Amino acid sequence: MFTVLLIIHGLLAVALLGAITHQALSVWLPARKPAGSFIGRFRSVPATSYGNAIVVLYLVTALLGAVVYTEYRVVVRVVLEQLDMWKTNGVFELKEHFAALGLGVLPAYWYYWRTPLLGEHARTRAVLTAILAFVVWWNFLVGHVLNNVRGFGS
Amino acid sequence: MTVPRSFPVFAVVFAVAWSVVYVICVEKNYALFTYHPATYEFGLGVQKAKDGPAMYWFGWMATSGLVAGAIALVACWLPESLTRRLWSGWSWVVPVAVMVVFCYLLRSYFLR
Repeated sequence: MFTVLLIIHGLLAVALLGAITHQALSVWLPARKPAGSFIGRFRSVPATSYGNAIVVLYLVTALLGAVVYTEYRVVVRVVLEQLDMWKTNGVFELKEHFAALGLGVLPAYWYYWRTPLLGEHARTRAVLTAILAFVVWWNFLVGHVLNNVRGFGS
Repeated sequence: MTVPRSFPVFAVVFAVAWSVVYVICVEKNYALFTYHPATYEFGLGVQKAKDGPAMYWFGWMATSGLVAGAIALVACWLPESLTRRLWSGWSWVVPVAVMVVFCYLLRSYFLR
C-alpha cells in the first residue's frame, strides 16, 4: 500500500517539478526571441498558466508525502539513526520543514500569479516562484536519495 | 474567480505568521496533536512516544495553521490606510529567513 502511495507521490512530484521549473525559468530567464532550442522552448512557456496547477500539485503531493511520512518514520528513519546516518536524517529534517514553509507561501503565490498580473508585484511573484522551485527541487532530490539509501521495498 | 479585496493582506500576513509560528512550534514543540505511527493513534497535544516513535510534524502544522490563520484574519479587519502600506515582499523575506534559521537549528546533523 505504502509502496503504491510512494510511487504516486513520486510521479506527482515529477509533474510538479516540471511545472515549477518551467515557470521559474520563464520568469528568471525569459526567452527574448522566438525559441529555437529545447532550452529556449523550455523557457518560453506562458508562466501564468502554471499557477493553479502548481498550487494543486503542491497540495496533493504534500498530502501524499505526509501519508508516506508515517511509514518512513517507523521503517526508515529508525534504521538511519541506528546506522548513525545523521547527514541523511538532517537533509530529511530540512525537507519536512521546507515543505511546511512552502505550504505557508501558497496563498500569496496563488494570489500574485492571478491574471491580470500586477506589474508592481513582479519581484514578489518571481521570488515566491523561486522559493517554491527550490523547495520542490530540494524535496524531490532528498526524497529520491533517501529512497535509494533504504532501498525499494526493503 | 473574484477574491475579497483584503485577500492580499491575508496572504502576506499568513505567509509571515505561518513561518514565524511554525519555527516557534518546532523549537518549543507546540504540537496541537501527536501521531503515533506504529499504533496509528492520534493524541491531543504533545504526548511521549509509546510503542514506537511519536510524530509532532502534523501537530506543528496544525498549530501554525490555526494561529497564522487567526492572525491573518485579524489583519484583514485593520483599516485600509494601514494595510495599504503592507509590502508584498514580506511574503518571501520572512519565509526565506526562517529557512536559513532551520539550516542553523539543524546544523548538528551535519557537524557530527
